[in-house]
Amino acid sequence: MPSMNAVLFISFLLFSVGVAGVLIRRNVLIILMCVELMLNAANLNLVAFARHSGTVAGQAFALLVMGLAAAEVSIGLALVVALYRKKDTIQVDQINLLKG
Amino acid sequence: MDPLLAATGQYLFHIFGLMAVAGALGLVFSRNAIHSIVGFLLSMLAVAGCYLTLSAEFLAVAQLLVYAGGIVVLFLFVVMLVEMTKFKEKGLFQGQTKAAVAVVAAGALAIVGVFWRTWFAPGAAQALTLDAGLGEGLDVAAQNAQAVSRGVFAGYLLPFEILSVILLVALVGAVVLAKTERV
Repeated sequence: MPSMNAVLFISFLLFSVGVAGVLIRRNVLIILMCVELMLNAANLNLVAFARHSGTVAGQAFALLVMGLAAAEVSIGLALVVALYRKKDTIQVDQINLLKG
Repeated sequence: MDPLLAATGQYLFHIFGLMAVAGALGLVFSRNAIHSIVGFLLSMLAVAGCYLTLSAEFLAVAQLLVYAGGIVVLFLFVVMLVEMTKFKEKGLFQGQTKAAVAVVAAGALAIVGVFWRTWFAPGAAQALTLDAGLGEGLDVAAQNAQAVSRGVFAGYLLPFEILSVILLVALVGAVVLAKTERV
């Protein structure tokens, strides 16, 4: 059984890489994937704390977060497709008008 | 299975965790979008392995089905739909990259400081242990699917129902957003 510190540290590394990816990349698809990465880091923490406390709440909420991530990614990818049809680009620094 | 897992679980977790971080780094720093997706897939599979070593078997299988089976394929569809080769020569990173890296590094250093104090400080708090007992009668480790289903359908039924409504809204919204103008 891994130690709690190891789980927390791996989760911290995943979350940091996700934040860095959201902040530095220009491609919307990569940014969406990095958001997924951050949600997974949070899920890992939830599972580890469920294991620590011996209750099932953490795992149940990890399952709910997984479903929420699926909803989020479907909406995000639909937005990407609509944006690409409209503006012919998916680079976030070229998408800077509210009126589209 | 269980004595073997108890003996090797720690090393397995380290291996899977490092694989997850390596996949995440490949996702952020690769030039080709397909390579990014492969890194994402590696990371998700490794996180599923981490769930297994934490004896959350149901979540591990759900992770495989939802992420490796569904979301990666969805990303691949959109990458094929959007012509990526057009964007290749225009540079990978945004203008604020240096400031962003500085901010992330500062936050990461702060958290590393917390870890450092937890591990090495003289009056360090006692490390948390991961035990397998459960107060409510079901053993989370031994009867994982039963325990999770009781948690979702008995303990947290309202969040589950709200999630189903959110999924319905996402379904309709995705169809409306992605359909062409003239029908």
